[in-house]
Amino acid sequence: MAVPIDHYVGLAAVVFFIGVVGVIVRRNPLIMLMSIELMFNSANLLFIAFARVWLQNAGHIFAFLVITVAAAEAAIGLAIIVTTFGPERYVDVDDVRALRG
Amino acid sequence: MIEFWILAVILIVSAVWTIAASKPVYSVVALLLNFAALAVLYVTLSAEFLAVIQIIVYSGAILVLFVFVIALLGSGVAPFPMGPNRLPRIWVPGAVVVLVSLGFLVYTVSQAVPAPTRPPNGPVGAANVFGSVGDFGTALFTVQLLPFEVTALILMVAVIGVITLGGDQIRDAAPRGHERKVERAMREAILREGTD
Amino acid sequence: MSTTFGRCAAEMPHHLVGVPGSYPLLIALWLLPLAGAILCWAFGPQLRTLAGWLVSAVVGSSFVLAALSWNAATQSVGGGLGANQALGSWLPGFDFGLLLDPLSLLWTFIITGVGFLIVFYSIGYMEGDRAYARFFAYMSFFVFAMLTLVLSDNWVGLLVGWGLVGLASYFLIGFWFDRPSAVAAARKAFVINVVGDVGMMFAIFLIVANVHSIGYGDTFSAAAGLSPSLIFWICATLFIGAAAKSAQVPLHTWLPDAMEGPTPVSALIHAATMVTAGVYLVARSAPLWNHSPQAQLLVGTVGGVTALIGAILGCTQWDIKRILAYSTMSQIGYMIMGVGVGAYEGGVALFFTHAFFKAQLFLGAGLVIHALNNEQDVRKMGGLWKKMPFAFWVMLTAVLAITGVPGFSGFFSKDEVIYGDLQFGHPVLFSIGALTAAITAYYMFRMLFIAFFGEYRGNVDHPHAPGWKMNVPVAILVAPSVAIGAALLSGGENSPWARFFASQFGSETVAIASHRPPAIPEGATSTIVFVLVLIGAGIAWWRYASAPAQRDAAGRLEGEARTTPAILVHRFYVDDAIQLLFVRPAQRLGAFFGSVFDPHVIDGAVRDVVFWARWLGALVRSFQTGLVRAYALILVFGAACFIVYYAFAAGALH
Repeated sequence: MAVPIDHYVGLAAVVFFIGVVGVIVRRNPLIMLMSIELMFNSANLLFIAFARVWLQNAGHIFAFLVITVAAAEAAIGLAIIVTTFGPERYVDVDDVRALRG
Repeated sequence: MIEFWILAVILIVSAVWTIAASKPVYSVVALLLNFAALAVLYVTLSAEFLAVIQIIVYSGAILVLFVFVIALLGSGVAPFPMGPNRLPRIWVPGAVVVLVSLGFLVYTVSQAVPAPTRPPNGPVGAANVFGSVGDFGTALFTVQLLPFEVTALILMVAVIGVITLGGDQIRDAAPRGHERKVERAMREAILREGTD
Repeated sequence: MSTTFGRCAAEMPHHLVGVPGSYPLLIALWLLPLAGAILCWAFGPQLRTLAGWLVSAVVGSSFVLAALSWNAATQSVGGGLGANQALGSWLPGFDFGLLLDPLSLLWTFIITGVGFLIVFYSIGYMEGDRAYARFFAYMSFFVFAMLTLVLSDNWVGLLVGWGLVGLASYFLIGFWFDRPSAVAAARKAFVINVVGDVGMMFAIFLIVANVHSIGYGDTFSAAAGLSPSLIFWICATLFIGAAAKSAQVPLHTWLPDAMEGPTPVSALIHAATMVTAGVYLVARSAPLWNHSPQAQLLVGTVGGVTALIGAILGCTQWDIKRILAYSTMSQIGYMIMGVGVGAYEGGVALFFTHAFFKAQLFLGAGLVIHALNNEQDVRKMGGLWKKMPFAFWVMLTAVLAITGVPGFSGFFSKDEVIYGDLQFGHPVLFSIGALTAAITAYYMFRMLFIAFFGEYRGNVDHPHAPGWKMNVPVAILVAPSVAIGAALLSGGENSPWARFFASQFGSETVAIASHRPPAIPEGATSTIVFVLVLIGAGIAWWRYASAPAQRDAAGRLEGEARTTPAILVHRFYVDDAIQLLFVRPAQRLGAFFGSVFDPHVIDGAVRDVVFWARWLGALVRSFQTGLVRAYALILVFGAACFIVYYAFAAGALH
């Protein structure tokens, strides 16, 4: 393609470090987890880009695995957040009204 | 070329908005935008299958999970109740480290000799072309079978972990009355003072 | 009654070590007292009064076994004299074993024979005491320890016995440990003995370093090849041990205080056996002493001085046991003087006879003390010849023996020593010995007169007459004190005594001793000494037993007590000197360490370690904030470092 590979490297690096800043600066655990997802995705971008350069689908495979593991990790992280900061009092789904508005 | 720059801008802006939003729901929406732009970028890189996977798994499952938890914690709309900031100026060393690392990376990469991108090996959409489902599937179930199986194992462990962590709450009745107040007071104390 | 030293040229073969073999009787006689002690310790409460009979039987059996070993002990086969039972070897040159030759057989007879009589006597004396069984356990242990000392065939075994005997003495002096004076006396005795032990240890170091063996035989064989100054130092350090154990000046101060123990203890340990360990040591190491005339002069002098000082101090005492204690010190001084100058047979003969009459004196005093409800002050006695005639006759015969009245045993043995001084060329020591004989007569008869003559001055209405268990042993002792001298020692070279020791002290004594026939024949010296004795006894009679003295006896005694010169009251200030020179500085040093060094330096060091450990811990702990974001920052920082490193490693940068 016409886009040189180092453009992709730079883009991925910038997004990655935005994620790093998010983890360090924000105190909300959910935001921290989202920042971590940002970092995962920047790495994925690099895998895909290099896979395209060398025409190896191993990069695709690895990106796929990264997505899977990131999903698992997000699930567990959220479970930890939920148990640590606790559900307030919801047994009835109808009580969940924070999104109201 | 132009699509790259548009997508790059969207990527960066949405990333910044994710980490800077005041309310977690806004962060989720920004992240969704990020993932979408990323998927389009994948398509430009001939990775159609992975673009779809990105949409389905990341924005369709993980972000939804985030939304549920935000709803569960009751802080989606209102700001999350938090105690005093214990590391108020941590962004200073953070910024230093980040900028230094970023500069270093950029400089290093710019010194490298870029490799020429190979031409694609077939029209888009054809069956076993690079980036297609067939190509991906063949590799996944033959050459890369071990990582696939291990990943399955990881997912199972994750499921077990989640159930262990929070599953019992499904069975127990929620505490009522005074116990709920005590629990809430304890949790607020944890939030205020940390868990040490 | 010439002595054996008239033999000049007769070269007798000298035997250095016993005939090796297996002598089960020897092992049995050595270990039986230990078994007795262990039984009494373990089963004391169950045994109760049986403990006394048990230990008497044990000690008596050892005596019988020793008698049965007579032939083994006097055999002279090949190069060996006596019986040598090997007990095992630890290192090359460190072979342990038992040796029963005429010298150690003699000591064994005294230890077990007189020991048996004294233990039997104690059955009655200690009746009703709370710790009855413990007493007999200690007595049996003492007999075992003393046997270890005399039966060893090597220096280390000797030292082990030496130490154990000191320990037994400590136990027995402080037997009534609820009396602070007894405890202090026991401690004093033990500490002074330890000083002696250190001297002995140095001697053994010197011996092992130069001879590479601890056996007597090897040491004596090698003695000719060692340098004279080395031999002198070996002998001098050995003598430090002997002086401590035998209460020679200046290590004598523990002996009078040791009278705090029960009277049988004083009789056995501090009269007949333990204090003679020094004499045994010098006699045993005779071949060494014969190579060092300077050492012999040292020992002879110390012995003579001790004899004189002991006698002088005995003149001013009022406690009957203390009088006897100083008497012991003086007599041991005689013995040391004898074996020191080279008159081995004389010194050993005096030991032999002294054991009998000193034990008799102490046991007789015990009869009196027991009868008068533990009254020991002679000023509160008097007129006992009427109230306790048996005790009076016992004490009289013993006093006659100790002062050297001709015909009694002491006469023969003391004369051998005094004449030996002259024979071996020490006229000064001879004079000291003769003078001391006079003073001995004076204070012994003084004791007899004050305690037994005149009218009773005490408070006890009916003296509680001792039973047969106490009277019989004392009676048995009378005969030897009186007659054994005549029986064994008379006849000069052909006396049974001389023949017994013919091979033991043979040629060295004769060949090496400075040998000039003395100017004064032996008969003359005996007469001189006897005249001096009569003078001493006469003065005592005039002061204490004659009719003028008996008028207002109590008042005169009190007057005498008041006018005793201060130097004698303070016993020549030896105790005070030791207190000032050694005890006080040691206490100050201990106090310094206890109050300054220990809390500040030692504890301070420990506290400092604790402080720095805490400080380090606090420092590291400050990193563990628990804040996730801080950890995240550090993670990123670490990752950045890795990136930089790998960039360099991969050669992307230079």
